[in-house]
Amino acid sequence: MKKIEYKQLKETLYHETLPNGLDVYVLPKQGFAKTYATFTTKYGSIDNTFQVPGKDKVHVPDGIAHFLEHKMFEQESGEDVFQSFSRQGASANAFTSFTRTSYLFSCTDQVENNLTTLLNYVQSPYFTDENVEKEKGIIGQEIRMYDDNADWRVYFGLIEALYQNHPVKIDIAGTVESISKITKETLYTCYNTFYHPSNMLLFVIGAVDPGRIFQLVKENQGQKKFEPQGEIKRFFDKEPDVVAEKRKEMRLSVNAPKCYFGFKEAPTTVGVSGDDMLKLELTTQLFMESLVGSSSELYQSLYDEGLIDDSFGHDYSIEQGYGFTMMGGDTRKPDELVSRIEELFPQKVKKGISAEEFELVKKKKIGSVLRSLNSVEWIANQFTSYRFHESDLFQMIPTLEAITLEDVNKRMREHIDFARFAVSTVRPLD
Amino acid sequence: MSSGQFETRQIGNVRLHVCPSTKFKTTMLVAMFQQELSTKYVTQTALLSNVLLRGTEQYPTMLDLKKKQNDLYGAGLFGDVFKRGERQILHFGVDIANEKYLHDASPLLEEAVGLLCEVITKPALEQDVFMKSYVEAEKRNRKQQIEGLVDDKIQYAAQRSIEEMCKNEPYAIFINGQVEDLPVIQADNLYTYYQELLYHCPLDLYCVGDVDIQKVVSLFEKYLPSEMFTSERNQLNPPQTTQSVQQVKTVVERLPVNQGKLNMGCRTHITVQDSDYPALLMYNGILGGFPHSKMFMNVREKASLAYYASSRLESHKGIMHIQSGIEIQNFEKAVTIIKEQMEVMRQGQVSDQELEQTKATLSNQFREQQDRAYEIVQSHYHSVLSGTNRPLEQILKEISQVSKEDVQKVAQKIQLDTIYFLRDQGGEADEKN
Repeated sequence: MKKIEYKQLKETLYHETLPNGLDVYVLPKQGFAKTYATFTTKYGSIDNTFQVPGKDKVHVPDGIAHFLEHKMFEQESGEDVFQSFSRQGASANAFTSFTRTSYLFSCTDQVENNLTTLLNYVQSPYFTDENVEKEKGIIGQEIRMYDDNADWRVYFGLIEALYQNHPVKIDIAGTVESISKITKETLYTCYNTFYHPSNMLLFVIGAVDPGRIFQLVKENQGQKKFEPQGEIKRFFDKEPDVVAEKRKEMRLSVNAPKCYFGFKEAPTTVGVSGDDMLKLELTTQLFMESLVGSSSELYQSLYDEGLIDDSFGHDYSIEQGYGFTMMGGDTRKPDELVSRIEELFPQKVKKGISAEEFELVKKKKIGSVLRSLNSVEWIANQFTSYRFHESDLFQMIPTLEAITLEDVNKRMREHIDFARFAVSTVRPLD
Repeated sequence: MSSGQFETRQIGNVRLHVCPSTKFKTTMLVAMFQQELSTKYVTQTALLSNVLLRGTEQYPTMLDLKKKQNDLYGAGLFGDVFKRGERQILHFGVDIANEKYLHDASPLLEEAVGLLCEVITKPALEQDVFMKSYVEAEKRNRKQQIEGLVDDKIQYAAQRSIEEMCKNEPYAIFINGQVEDLPVIQADNLYTYYQELLYHCPLDLYCVGDVDIQKVVSLFEKYLPSEMFTSERNQLNPPQTTQSVQQVKTVVERLPVNQGKLNMGCRTHITVQDSDYPALLMYNGILGGFPHSKMFMNVREKASLAYYASSRLESHKGIMHIQSGIEIQNFEKAVTIIKEQMEVMRQGQVSDQELEQTKATLSNQFREQQDRAYEIVQSHYHSVLSGTNRPLEQILKEISQVSKEDVQKVAQKIQLDTIYFLRDQGGEADEKN
């Protein structure tokens, strides 16, 4: 087990890659009552067309990664695995994103039993025709819940407007129609492809002794047999530079309109990984904060003009193959807001971010990283996500400190391109 | 409720609670004002949470204030209102980096206390009252926020079910305020109300972080005006908890929705002050607090009717809320299953496994709270509000001692009061009784 010390943050991380390919990380947190563990596969909703060496290329129904996540809780004994976690005092859950599926628990007691339960249930799928059918009703209600959720609809509407082909535009849960085609056979195909230990990462953080955790995990994994698997090939259709729809409009039962807008990254930008990706992400976040963050002049003007309120925010997503900025919130006048953005953004891009603005947003970002480091959940989830891109969460502060004003202005000029701009609006019903 | 290792100092009529801890990389400061939950005050109190964050004497615009926050390594400044029983709590807080983790920063605690106190006590003024433009802008935002409740159907249904259940009780009041109050609120009368609240509503100050208690005491003494400590503070009435249910109300409301939202409100006749409160926690846990609970198992796993189906407690008013999102035509089916589950608990049908799982997961929830600064504060504040202090070790012990008979006794006290269903606009005419 390798020991990595981060002196400034006063954290020590332990790492080992097991013979079966599983990456294991342990971070002891002094003074914490809780232990949090995530067992994550690099497999999300976008991975819908893939091939492993020696097998056929497969295309699977929308929403299957999420469906598979639900079905993992089923066990051959007939008992839902939640029951075992509850007996051991743990709170268990799972989530599926565009690029990852994560199984997790937190507990303040019986850490080793809970960790064993986590490893064992995720590594023993049990799908039957009957239990697959039963889940369709439950997930159907999850989809219906999101259909009524205006914030989700406006958010997803923007992704649909930005992307023409990339599967990021497909809702993570799929549709009632698409999940109706899911069978236990397709679930096993996905499981056997993506749940191989060499495609997974275990992160354990909290009140733990790293030596004992590694011993437990090694013994547990040593008892299981996995055939070696070659590299998984994932296929994505070519994404054009221009957006799918400049304006996406929806009507829902809401009181006031909601409006999100953003820019998609150029195809040349979305291929980066490792340290470059971390730098790209942080540089983008810094310019966004300077441009439209709550301490920007632009935010102040829009707020004073009554075009935005404190629900207005911004966000950046970057993965291999896609990336976009997103801004917005509730607004009484979505059309006016968008025309002001179209007018003010080019002005700011031309003028550039000042040294003073830059220093302040950098300080803000450093403070917010420290605040996030209070959360064991944030550390585990973010660490995993960065690791899958071959970058390191704990390099965030040094990377931030090295970013220059010039980097940020250059990134802003390159990203703000109205050819790659789209707007999603949800308006009240007539 | 349970508390972290807080030390409480009474400074005049204000209480300061400090929890020194080295496990966080930031320091959190919070000020909690209690107000009676009343249609007289609710909108003004809520509006203050916005107006005070617009600007201060030293940082008169929001931009100045945000720049100051950024300069303090993005000190997170927040203000909001929330409901506890029949009290409205106005709170402001700041979460600031501990300079130990920064390369070249000067001490930040004093800056943080200074900033929080500035926001609370030195708002930007014109002609000795609030800035008119700020009040007017925030009235518009507040209006949008109140009316925007309907945008979130889960929250909307929860609030509407409480309004139906607790008609004529203060508990029904929507915590974010009432649109009809806004036109009469002006910079001058809001300022008068603010002075009243600042000096006469009960105030608790909190600090969690790697700090020295005496230092925190002296900083608050330095940055708050001395009259804050010397002025008389009101005693507030406890919530009404005695209402008995005569007949179960059923209310159906229609909006253009895809999914039906079922909410059921129950009177438990038990609050955090009662000795059977731990047994109530167990009852709620077994019925609908966890993924092993009866509701999750029967409504979701067995009948496949829902994605979420759960229950939760309001421990000051003694109310239990049940909620689930279902297909509209499954309304009767879901209500029947939930009522059956409550009935089997009345008959004492709780397995050893359910009892043990609930003890384990409930205890875990209490222990986990200790790892989040804001939850440590909230958990301690419950004990301040109720006057009932159950330190962590005690609540864990009491939970471990709850028997099936205790749970059954609680089950027999609980009365279903209101069934509320938010559904689509198709189908039969409204049913109400």
